[in-house]
Amino acid sequence: MLLSLPTLASPQHFSLVEKIVFAGMMVASGYLFWRRFGVVLNKILKSKKDPNFHLFPIGKRVWDFFWEVLCQAKVIRERPLPGLAHALVFWAFLAFALVTLNHCATGLGVGFLSPDGLVGRWYFYFAAAFALACAVGILGLFVRRFLVRPRWLGEKLSWESGFIAFLIFALMATYLASFFVADADMAARILWWAHSLALLTFLPLIPHTKHLHLVLSPATIFLSRGSYAQIPPLSGDEDFGLVAGTDLTQLVSLQAYSCVECGRCTEHCPAANTGKLLNPKEIILGVRAYLNDLGPASDQPLLGKYNAQEAVFQCTTCGACEFQCPVGIEHVPILVGLRRGAVNTGAWEDDYGSKLFLALERGSNALGISPAERDKFIQKQALPIFDGTQEYCLWLGCMGGYDPKGREIVADFARVMNYLGTSYGVLRKEKCTGDPVRRLGNDLVFQQLAEANLETLAQNKVKKIVSICPHCVRTIQEDWKEYGTPPEIEHHSEFLARYADKLPHQSKDETIVFHDPCYLGRYRNVYEQPRAVAGLAGTVVEAPRNHERSFCCGAGGGLAFLGEETGERVSHNRAAELVATGASTVGTACPFCNTMFRDALAAGGEAPPQLLDIAQLAARGLPIASPIKDQAN
Amino acid sequence: MKIIVAIKQVPDRDAQFRIDGAGKWIEEADLQFALNESDAYALEEALQLKEKHGGEVIVLSAGPERIGQTIREALAKGADRAINIACDDLRARDALGVARLLAAAVKQESPDLLLTGLQSEDLGLGQTGVILAELLDLPHASLILHVEKTEAGLTVKRELEEGWYQSIEMPLPAVLTIQSGGNKLRYATLMGIKRAKTKEVRQLTAAELGVDATPVVVLDRVSLPQKQKSTQILPGSPKEAAAALVEKLKFEVRVL
Repeated sequence: MLLSLPTLASPQHFSLVEKIVFAGMMVASGYLFWRRFGVVLNKILKSKKDPNFHLFPIGKRVWDFFWEVLCQAKVIRERPLPGLAHALVFWAFLAFALVTLNHCATGLGVGFLSPDGLVGRWYFYFAAAFALACAVGILGLFVRRFLVRPRWLGEKLSWESGFIAFLIFALMATYLASFFVADADMAARILWWAHSLALLTFLPLIPHTKHLHLVLSPATIFLSRGSYAQIPPLSGDEDFGLVAGTDLTQLVSLQAYSCVECGRCTEHCPAANTGKLLNPKEIILGVRAYLNDLGPASDQPLLGKYNAQEAVFQCTTCGACEFQCPVGIEHVPILVGLRRGAVNTGAWEDDYGSKLFLALERGSNALGISPAERDKFIQKQALPIFDGTQEYCLWLGCMGGYDPKGREIVADFARVMNYLGTSYGVLRKEKCTGDPVRRLGNDLVFQQLAEANLETLAQNKVKKIVSICPHCVRTIQEDWKEYGTPPEIEHHSEFLARYADKLPHQSKDETIVFHDPCYLGRYRNVYEQPRAVAGLAGTVVEAPRNHERSFCCGAGGGLAFLGEETGERVSHNRAAELVATGASTVGTACPFCNTMFRDALAAGGEAPPQLLDIAQLAARGLPIASPIKDQAN
Repeated sequence: MKIIVAIKQVPDRDAQFRIDGAGKWIEEADLQFALNESDAYALEEALQLKEKHGGEVIVLSAGPERIGQTIREALAKGADRAINIACDDLRARDALGVARLLAAAVKQESPDLLLTGLQSEDLGLGQTGVILAELLDLPHASLILHVEKTEAGLTVKRELEEGWYQSIEMPLPAVLTIQSGGNKLRYATLMGIKRAKTKEVRQLTAAELGVDATPVVVLDRVSLPQKQKSTQILPGSPKEAAAALVEKLKFEVRVL
């Protein structure tokens, strides 16, 4: 009988014994599920409360849940084929919720969806369509995992994943097969029991495997901190970051248990891709192993057995991991949290790190140069001093004030502002924004720098800042909030893009490959403005990894100051990719990227492309003019 | 081992200095102050000795109210307690006067070892530590880069000219003036600062110690150094020039 009625729903002749056996199996399966899931849930709930967690505004949470969980948008967007296969399985699970509930009820003799009724019949066919899609999807995922085997899934084949794929396939196959047998047949009964067995085996496996994400990740996405790479404030006098189990917050624990081990984080990680110890997936799994073994009440250190300090300090905080994570894990606060734990307690010993911290404890800039050098630069370039009357405060930053190449960028940006007649001024005194120490986890020095700078800005009555450095922009706008109210700030790409039609257009002959800085792209969601500015000077071409997939230059997270890397240099990896586009110019929008590529391109061989910041590209088209001609003062 | 480290607060070296109206000192109004550099190394040496051999590190200072900040930093880096001699007229006192103040406070503690920086970054007299030893009638050594505790007392490494060092054995108690650069300084931590809040800072006054302020040496006037810029072109091939440059950076500028 072909496609008559789905007999799966109505085995007519269940004996009492069968009902009792089924009920017993259900209880056993539920018990085995809870025996593990209860433990996990308890560890999450017993973790420390997140000090700054707010459920409201809830709108964004609802949207993220709808878009990322229900629509599977992120999963599909970032990995279209496996993403779609996953979505088919996920949607089938949703459609199957009712079928499964009815299946269990039927086993107890109280089935509620009748294949004879209009609703029941429609729903069984509806679910069948999903079952078919799911079977195709899971087959595809099986082929990918066991035959294609992308390297970020790890060296080891996971038999557990294979078995679960088999169970899911069996669930769908038994459901679909039941459409083809008569309900009085022995075959129908065998299918029914096979379906039950698959279902009741699957349930207890969920909390024991990475399939825990089925249950947890919807909550993880809904409850996430909400803004990307946000570093939470420390609470009270005994909070030094993630030192021991007692410092793990509920969100961190929830995220650790949600990891589905897909390896997207590792696939995009600049450290993991250049032969370093750091593997963001392993960091999260390390936290999970800690929780499994020791729990959230332990005072054993988090760094040591479960995660290596060396790995944690190899992170550039580029945030590619967190951006890619499909289950809402926030890697950056966890990695920075572990660093805070090590630095705030003095456990991290590193010659370069100490040198940077000492330079910023006493001095004003991360480069450890006398501020008199900054004064000289300001005088030489005749940069106007901010006096409260100008529209913009031009924030130089350490690179703009002290680094030779950074100074060139500032000088050219000033030329463009002069040309546009923008009124601006620079501060007499500036301290490092604290970006490198913030990301390295030194809250003491960061607080000193943020507070001193906020005071200077308030004294000078600064309302609007523009800066050539995405790190300064991010730190001033987001991180300083912990200690006061920073003025409005924008990156020079945003400023320049706004005036693009007032700036001279140059020949389109030159090809420019634009490198998205992490702190401008992923951190600030600014992608098109710098391209618009670069477009004034030539034709913009793209590197294979661009926009939100841009690959870090290696400087972020304070790593620019930590000396030589192990493995391949991140900057060389990225520079080679930029050179391979064949572009005649590499366009940057961050003085740190610029300095990294300056060295990497020089090391890369003969006739490297030229390296210019977008401000330099824009300034190149200006008529040669006297500096500060348009300045009112 | 009970170790006292005498520290001084000095104007931050990154500051831009102006001579005050009387021409006798620099304008202090807008200056930032910090721990004297060689005192920071003295503190580091003391902390390392304590970590190895146990005991107590006490920081001792004299100065106006603003010195509280520097004392807290020293406590944050690991000193156990502090003694401060409140003293608004520190600049009116000469090295002998300051040493008398410090010596009076040290006598109340009778430490095993007294360390201080080789010299201050502001006056650069390099005398306070040595005079202290004399006033306390203790043996002393200056320009010390490294201290090792032995059965009998101490073995210290002393810096001489042109890359030569001298090793000296000496008894305890003793006074040492510490040269910068012998150790790697530790950075201050948030935990240290929080812990420092509960540490004892004993306040003394010059009057209590019975030390008067009349100096024997009076500062006549101060002036800013005349800056001279000279450029040297290193001859030869790039390779030779680079080698010569490294040589100069190593031995003349001493930054490598």
